[in-house]
Amino acid sequence: MSNAAHHDQDDLRLLRESVRTLLERAGGVARARKIRDEDGGWDAPVMTELAKAGVFGAAVPEEAGGLGMGLAAAGIIAEEVGRVIAPEPVVASVGLAIGLLRRLCPAHALLTEALAGTTVLATAWQERDAKGLSDTLSSRFENGALTGTKSWVAGVAVASGILVLVEAGGGPALALVEPGGKGVSIDKRRQSDGSILAELHLSGAPAELLAEGPAVAKALEAAISDTTALTAAELVGVSAKALEITLDYIKTREQFDKPIGSFQVIQHRAADMHVMREVAEAGVRDALGLMDATETPRLRARQASRAKARACTTARKITREAIQLHGAVGYTDEFDIGLYLNRALVLSAWLGDDVYHRRLWLNARNAEEAAE
Amino acid sequence: MIDYNAMSDADFRRQVRQFFETEYPEELRNLSHRPKFAEIEHWHRKLHAKGWVAPAWPAEYGGMGLNAAKLLIFYEEQQRWGVVRGRDMGVQMVGPLIIKFGTDAQKAYWLPRILSCEDIWCQGYSEPGAGSDLANLRTNAVIDGDEFVINGQKIWTTMAHDSTHIFMLVRTDPKAPKKQQGISFILVPMDQPGVEVRTITTLAGETEFCEVFFNDARTPCENLVGELNKGWTMAKSLLSFERVFIGAPNLAQNALGQLETYARGAGRFDDPVFRDRFAEVALDVEDHAALYARFADQLKRGEPLGADVSMLKIWVTETFQKITELMIEAAGPDGGTLGPLQVGNAGVDVLAAFYKARPTTIYGGSNEIQRNILSKAVLGLPG
Repeated sequence: MSNAAHHDQDDLRLLRESVRTLLERAGGVARARKIRDEDGGWDAPVMTELAKAGVFGAAVPEEAGGLGMGLAAAGIIAEEVGRVIAPEPVVASVGLAIGLLRRLCPAHALLTEALAGTTVLATAWQERDAKGLSDTLSSRFENGALTGTKSWVAGVAVASGILVLVEAGGGPALALVEPGGKGVSIDKRRQSDGSILAELHLSGAPAELLAEGPAVAKALEAAISDTTALTAAELVGVSAKALEITLDYIKTREQFDKPIGSFQVIQHRAADMHVMREVAEAGVRDALGLMDATETPRLRARQASRAKARACTTARKITREAIQLHGAVGYTDEFDIGLYLNRALVLSAWLGDDVYHRRLWLNARNAEEAAE
Repeated sequence: MIDYNAMSDADFRRQVRQFFETEYPEELRNLSHRPKFAEIEHWHRKLHAKGWVAPAWPAEYGGMGLNAAKLLIFYEEQQRWGVVRGRDMGVQMVGPLIIKFGTDAQKAYWLPRILSCEDIWCQGYSEPGAGSDLANLRTNAVIDGDEFVINGQKIWTTMAHDSTHIFMLVRTDPKAPKKQQGISFILVPMDQPGVEVRTITTLAGETEFCEVFFNDARTPCENLVGELNKGWTMAKSLLSFERVFIGAPNLAQNALGQLETYARGAGRFDDPVFRDRFAEVALDVEDHAALYARFADQLKRGEPLGADVSMLKIWVTETFQKITELMIEAAGPDGGTLGPLQVGNAGVDVLAAFYKARPTTIYGGSNEIQRNILSKAVLGLPG
């Protein structure tokens, strides 16, 4: 490994340590439970502290006001967010809101505010049809106002602005609306982890047009790839911590006068969880590194799908096994392990599960091989 | 003498690749069976003339003296071109042990004969009662004058029927307090009345494994390597590179290539269920390779490997098996047919791949043993 690579590794280690310390000091996983019980949302002060630690700008190029450390660094942050189930929308902000703004309107004041953690923006790009996720866009921007319905909008309940993907003049456009503004109605759907995904109904809502044309589609594709891969990293963090909690439990829980972790059947299941976690960590980090090394959208999308597919499979297996190895107490809300299961459910469904991403990955792989 | 380690990785890779591509006999590429020496002797001669028989040995003993980084490149190129490992027990196992623990006289006598394949070695470790629990071995050697007299039985001895010598772990002190103590490492010629070899026919119908019976077999005391009763620790000390190599991605990668060839030829990619399962194993291979690279980097930096290396073997061998199961499934009604199945212009031997995958979860420390190691040494689980 070269000196430069060693240097990078040191930077990443320091970043990880500072984010971990910050999130633990803020209350660790207990904070996730508290905020869930208070009906969703997040801590504004933690948001600003995270911003000071460079969390929102880590993957943003230096010329756009960030640290220029790439997705590799954002992935490290996402892993830490996953470990404590931090309720702040770190990955959605970094990947979607900031990802879109820095590509489409880098001079806009919103970007500076988002990087500083003072403004939280939700992003509404998906729409629903009878079979689920729609392939077409039916929301419109006309005469300065938005009309249509957007689905699966995260963070909308507490965001100060919503970035909305719409059609304008025959092409895609990005517009900004205020959540409490005229013509905006929000239908909140509570998720298993206590967070909210909303259906956003827009009927002549006044909006600011931020960008339009093919650049919007391109920026959105890049932002979705980034967010997908970072969500995978967050799931790696969820899986890692769920496994640690389970290992601590089976080392101390006694039955038949012995810790249950001394039984071989339990040991082998724990070993399998460990191997899965290691493969997921290596695979997801590798994918993020490869995404940093290329600008080609198809290659980046393929790596993002690889990462999400692996992370979903791993998190599903580990969080379910974790409940089983906890026995009956694993089924209670009192034990933290359940928080990890519930978080994994939400993050797996968000942006596509493993079956969905294996399909995309194979299509991309075969398309690349056909092109060669 | 060439200092390969001074070359850039790219230059070294190019040189190795070129040698294999121009010199390696086409008919020996990607052999599906383990060859007898006579079958590969012409290739061995070329390799010997080039001085490339023992890539890991120090140059002073006739090796290439490669460091870990260059060694990995050498093996990668070997696998890429489908170059046979050859009869390499001498080079891989007994040579390094003699280099590390042998006397000057032993080095001078045995090492050149290993390189030239004048002596062909097999490994006598496992016994009927000592598989995963190898330290339980019972074959004993008693000193009689200036000779060891050996009695007992070894099993799973790969290619013993085509070997001239066997290196063995034998019990030399049955009264030692722990069973790992009292074991010695000795070298034994096989061409003698007290040694009898019987081949074992495997599920695949092949005879590469043998049983070796010792009935008052003899070997001179000077064929003891290292100290008497210290064989266990010596043999274990050599396993570190082996442990990462046994978890290398190549077997699963090759099988994945065969699966893809077959499935394309047979139109299986039109089936969405097959597509998903193919993507699953392909990603299992790709993500394992990322983990393998992490351990390989560790080796290249000269850092020792920890017990966590066991996970490479678990993952890659079980992935290999998943792939070959999928091959059988893709073959449908041809799934029980021996020999290459013709699809398009290619022939894919589905069952050969399947059989090849079976013992991988058993040998080199069964996957259950690897899981025991992980749970205790890595996860710190009790008992």
